[in-house]
Amino acid sequence: MITISYTTAGKLRMACLAISLCLSVSACDEKELLNPTPDTSLQDTFLFDSPGRVLGQVNGMYAAMKNGSFYGGRYLMLSDIRGEEFMNRLQNVFTGYDAWNHTINSGSNDALTTWSNAYSTINSANLLIDGLAANPDVVPAATATQYVGEAKLVRAISYFALITLYGKPYVMDNGASPGVPLRLQGEKTPANNDLALSTVAQVYEQILTDLNEAETALPTSYASALLNTTRAHKNTAIALKTRVYLNMGKFEEVALEAQKIVQPTATGSFAAPTGVAHQLQPSIRTIFMNDYTTTESIFSMPMTELNNVSGQSSLGYEYNTNQEYSMNPTGIYGHPTWPATDERKTMFRTSGTTTYLMKYSKFSPFLDYIPVIRYSEVLLNYAEALARKTSPDMALATQLLMAVRKRADATYTFPAEALATQEAITSTILVERRIEFVGEGLRSNDLLRNLLTIPAKGTAPAISPSQPEYIFPIPNAEISANRAL
Amino acid sequence: MKHYLLLLTALLFVLKTQAQTPHITGKVTDAGDGLPLPGVTVVVKGTTQGTATDAEGSFELDCPPNSTLIFSYIGYNKEEIPANKPVINLKLASDSKQLTEVVVVGYGTQTKEEFTGSAARVSGDAVKDMPVQSFDQALAGKATGVSIGLPNGVLNNAPVIRIRGINSISLSSYPLIVVDGIPINTGDASGNSTVANNPLGDINPADIESIDVLKDAASTAIYGSRAAAGVILITTKSGKSGKPKVNYEGWTGITRAVRLPDLLDAEQFMMLKNEAVLNSKILSGNINNPSVPSESFFPMYNEDGSLVNTNWYDEVYQTGVSQNHSINFSGGNQTTKYYFSTNYSNQSGILKTNEFTRKAARFNLDHELTNWLSLTGSLNYNNSLNTSPNTGSLEGNAFGLVGAARLATLSAPNVPVFNPDGSYNLSNSNTLGMGNNTVASNFYNVVPMMDLNKYSSENDRIIGSFSARAKLLKKLDYKLTYAVDRLKIENSNFQSAVHGPGFGAGGNSTNSSVLVDNWNATNTLSYQTTLAEKHNISALAGYDIQKFKRSSWGATRSQLSDEFFDEFQGSFGNISPSSNSLNERAFASVFSRLTYDYASKYFVTLNFRRDGNSALGSGKKYGNFGGVSAGWLLSEEEFFRNSPIANVVDNVKLRGSWGRVGNGNLPNAFGSLSLYNSALYGTAATWAFSQGGNPNLGWETSDQTNIGADIALLNNRITLDLTYYHNNVNGLILDVPQSPSKGIPGNSILMNVGAMYNKGFEFGINASVIEKGKFSWSTNFNFTTNRNRVTELFGEGTEIVGTTSASAETSNITRVGYSVGSLFGAKTDGVNPATGQRVFINANGERVQYSHAVPSGGSRWTYFDGSPAPAISVSDYQLLGNALPTWYGGFNNTIKYGQFDVAVNFTYSGGNYIMNGTKGTWRDQRFWNNSTEVLERWTGEGQVTNIPRVVIGDLLSNGSSFPISENVEKADFLRLQTATLGYKVPGRLFGNSGISSLRLYTQVFNAFLITGYTGQDPDISSNGNSNLTPGVDKNSVPQGRTFTFGVNLGF
Repeated sequence: MITISYTTAGKLRMACLAISLCLSVSACDEKELLNPTPDTSLQDTFLFDSPGRVLGQVNGMYAAMKNGSFYGGRYLMLSDIRGEEFMNRLQNVFTGYDAWNHTINSGSNDALTTWSNAYSTINSANLLIDGLAANPDVVPAATATQYVGEAKLVRAISYFALITLYGKPYVMDNGASPGVPLRLQGEKTPANNDLALSTVAQVYEQILTDLNEAETALPTSYASALLNTTRAHKNTAIALKTRVYLNMGKFEEVALEAQKIVQPTATGSFAAPTGVAHQLQPSIRTIFMNDYTTTESIFSMPMTELNNVSGQSSLGYEYNTNQEYSMNPTGIYGHPTWPATDERKTMFRTSGTTTYLMKYSKFSPFLDYIPVIRYSEVLLNYAEALARKTSPDMALATQLLMAVRKRADATYTFPAEALATQEAITSTILVERRIEFVGEGLRSNDLLRNLLTIPAKGTAPAISPSQPEYIFPIPNAEISANRAL
Repeated sequence: MKHYLLLLTALLFVLKTQAQTPHITGKVTDAGDGLPLPGVTVVVKGTTQGTATDAEGSFELDCPPNSTLIFSYIGYNKEEIPANKPVINLKLASDSKQLTEVVVVGYGTQTKEEFTGSAARVSGDAVKDMPVQSFDQALAGKATGVSIGLPNGVLNNAPVIRIRGINSISLSSYPLIVVDGIPINTGDASGNSTVANNPLGDINPADIESIDVLKDAASTAIYGSRAAAGVILITTKSGKSGKPKVNYEGWTGITRAVRLPDLLDAEQFMMLKNEAVLNSKILSGNINNPSVPSESFFPMYNEDGSLVNTNWYDEVYQTGVSQNHSINFSGGNQTTKYYFSTNYSNQSGILKTNEFTRKAARFNLDHELTNWLSLTGSLNYNNSLNTSPNTGSLEGNAFGLVGAARLATLSAPNVPVFNPDGSYNLSNSNTLGMGNNTVASNFYNVVPMMDLNKYSSENDRIIGSFSARAKLLKKLDYKLTYAVDRLKIENSNFQSAVHGPGFGAGGNSTNSSVLVDNWNATNTLSYQTTLAEKHNISALAGYDIQKFKRSSWGATRSQLSDEFFDEFQGSFGNISPSSNSLNERAFASVFSRLTYDYASKYFVTLNFRRDGNSALGSGKKYGNFGGVSAGWLLSEEEFFRNSPIANVVDNVKLRGSWGRVGNGNLPNAFGSLSLYNSALYGTAATWAFSQGGNPNLGWETSDQTNIGADIALLNNRITLDLTYYHNNVNGLILDVPQSPSKGIPGNSILMNVGAMYNKGFEFGINASVIEKGKFSWSTNFNFTTNRNRVTELFGEGTEIVGTTSASAETSNITRVGYSVGSLFGAKTDGVNPATGQRVFINANGERVQYSHAVPSGGSRWTYFDGSPAPAISVSDYQLLGNALPTWYGGFNNTIKYGQFDVAVNFTYSGGNYIMNGTKGTWRDQRFWNNSTEVLERWTGEGQVTNIPRVVIGDLLSNGSSFPISENVEKADFLRLQTATLGYKVPGRLFGNSGISSLRLYTQVFNAFLITGYTGQDPDISSNGNSNLTPGVDKNSVPQGRTFTFGVNLGF
């Protein structure tokens, strides 16, 4: 019936089949096809292949700390707006209304994001410490020691942020209260979800251990002013210790640490005698407006056009561009001891009857560096410790206080009664801190470490140390995943 | 079609070799319009001898004496005529039922008889005239078991499609869409968070011949790993041999928003808000404090002295005008068939600046090269341009400051859009100017944003395929198909420096280019034979490789040099990279199907597929899937035929199936790997932990059981389809929450844990109710039930919290023993008539009330005795209701009288609850405008109402800051989805014009909604297709109602 021969046709057909099969099979090797390698991410097995990658992880750890929800902006903002200096203008929970209003609950975003970002910074430090131990030959031993020191410092400052926000003040009961889980080992897998809370004292102890070890391991300085400001060195660890000890009410220790980096200079000011030569700059405007890497900026989070914090966690956006918060007229801005002659009062702008903070004055992209710790804080930490320790040194405390005030307002003289007694000078120093550090994330911690009631402002109520709202609640996500809590 | 081609060619051979037999000629015409029917197969009964009619409907045939001729043609009744005269002229009557006789299945077709799985078919005619952007939007109520919800009124937004419920938790529950054999790109291909861009909008609905929905594992298992959510097979039109045909389909229409709530006008607004200000003053104990205001809202007047009373709806919504034109040419001869079509669609939405434009062309070609080799090619080029304002309706945008729907409702009515000098009414802090009101707004003026900002997402896409089919041996076919789906998307976004989100950056523009390159190569061998006349066996085996590669890159430019520029290519002061990503995934699979039937009475089909999936862990790439199904055509049995039932019941088929399919549609192409990403710390390069991997990540599998019956009654006037289904999903791939204190990125790792099931019943009935002379009424009613339960998660007492808009609001919970994504929030109990305060029930079951304003030192939360109570928080939240429909379906009617036709199609759904979070916005007591229902607020002791006493700043009492049970409502609805009136112009009027048919119609889409739901639309899903957060209505744009007028013209 069919006229063409089967054999001829069959051959022809089989040839066609063979050709097409070859084409389709050779087009792809199945094994290769099913095991693609990501082109824009690195698999963790290759992390320690070169010294450059290790350095990348060190910088990655700082970058985690610089996250917009942490030291890149929002952590500072939350710490400030919980206090009494700012008024919330727009009642927006995405820009901290809950924190300002003390309505943060365990399900609130701010409770979770601060917690998560602090811990992801801690984990990046832990992973680096573990990784360097497991891969000892990638970088020289001295470099590895330094990197571990940097990791410990970053871990310490992250735990400090956590324990002051989520733990009851150390001074309330010498740290006997429950604190936060103390994670000291890198986590990458589903294991180890459960870890009980350490006490506040245990967390402080770890912070100090880390900072002490960091002080030993860290270099005295780096090759550039930029690195001196954005990477940790010995004096960074010392400066942070003054903050930590002050929080614990250990004034002797504050003084011991502070004097390592605070010595009188020939010109009657103060400076760090070793390492990076920290000292106050003649104008405070310099460090916020012109030069972010002076010796006054002990540690700051750098911002560049390709790497900055934008949007609702950016301090420039919150305080200036979008005017989410204005100055509370009954807060420090209206304080009688802060005259208009003070240079620090120039970092505000008034629109109608409302005043806005302009410490972070750049518009988008928000390129103002975010301070972690400045030399003036070390001076005031030192001054406060001197004034409050068992055998006070009122004279030096006064000099330190004056150094900070007179830098901004050379004509100012403190009323005699403001410096007369231990209590008076302590309270004057606390006011000075409010003036000097407004918008730098210190205010609510200053209230808490002194067990002061958080004052009411606008419609937000006062919160006393006995109220649960005095600190942040541990987020629900932690409670539900961590069965050891 | 290809079967026919082969058959036809074989027949021609037969003819040539038997030229000495008697000769018959004739002409076949359409019984309806009298036109010649080309391509009708004419076969001598009992032989393989035959021919086909030519372009004029004529045929010639030699046949043995006393034989019978069988005339058959797709879509027409088969006729048997004795070959007892030399000329046979025949009128064939069309039979719409015939169209359903073939079921398109994976890698082939089956007859409805031999098909023993579960599928639904929708003909292309049902979608081609719908005023939609993509065909899937038009499927609502059309197919049993398929639930379609339009989540908002934004053009070209992907509908929420669920085939027999939600079949995964973390992976896509969107079905696999296969167009002419190639699985195509679906879902969020563009990555554009502002503009909806459903890739299925790239298919011109008028090109679709049929849509087959495969629902059970026995049917879908041949697609193995990708079929867990069902498979939708699209077959596009192809040419038919005979006289060339030209069809034009066009419609034009208007759309308006429906069910917008009534808002307070300027006077009501000021009265109500000032009452709230005064209440706050009183409640905070400041009644005698002059520094606390008693009023904050004050009128503004126009230059003519009239009160400023802005209706923001008028500024945001519009009457959208749309038009759609499709034209196609098709035809062919015995060996070559072609179909060419082109489409232009320009649709405007209910929101100003929301537009969809599609320009498309398709060319389908079938060619039979020799008697053993045939070739098929198709090429579809498409350009779709989606433009939209920021609607606030796409997933993740519900709480945006820029959402047009939200701004239209909450903007103050006592301030103008423009200042008297024509400039925009703006404050000095980049927000809407609040006029004489003494409160600030943190929201933008919506009008300059709509005027000056531009957001678009444009697709250029080529879908092409080539296949060759060779008859290797008499019963053995080989087929090679190679197909590409290359989708290039350009996202453009410009935000002006004048006002809105671009203000802070001095104007900015972000463009990104996305390329999704998808290719697919399939080799199949198929064999078909009949042994001993009764054993029919067909077998299919194949090898399939598919690869997707997605590449995206772009940049953001900011600090506009001059307001003259409004495009990315203009001059800016700054640029930074954005939207850069690169990933790929591949599937490599072998599959087979074996079909056997005995005497066309007993049917068995076996499916098997072994799938390799690149996204899974290194040792877990491969999975084996398969299914078995069986059918029994009871009505073919002697005892049945001889029983009296056979007089009523024509056809009974019992069928059952079991199968296992997989789901490996991971959202993350590299989900099994532990990864580090590089970025910057200032200027220094970094490596940072970015993903906790799980090398053991394997398949999620679904075991599906399906039992059903197909019954035809009363001469096939009534057909019934009954099915019970039960799907057990195991090894769910879940983002298992990790303790945040571990610092794992995203606080989660993908793992295979957990299980759930979906079960239910499907019932479909098609009936030709009346067929009397010129009058006919046919109806289709379908009804599906679904019960979804999670049976296991990642350990005792675990649950998954779902949040609306990134982590803005905790709104859903997935708990063992309940359906996926149940509504979650604070339990409320009305308003305390004594105080006018919202009453909440805390975790201990205690009733606490909330007052936003209290004297200093007082507690906002109190028990009824006034003593302080702890604040309501997430730990007090309760499960508030099931968010998944438990029953749904459609009721479709077609009525014809003479030249007139009427179609009335209803859809319905229910059994679920919806969180009317938008109501929280409408009742929010910040400076926001409210809906008029707020006028019913509590004003005096003893008053019973569900609206609390208004207190300025109160964002909590009405569910604006967290979800409350007060706003949970039943979602049951009945919608008149479409109503159409058509008129077919009588053929005699066309004369010699060449026109063969002309139908005019008018249609209303989304005609009305009957529901107890007080929100805009119970279909709204602010979280789009998300599995974990269904049933949330938060600040979305409502749907529109569309009236169209259209033409179907044939030459």
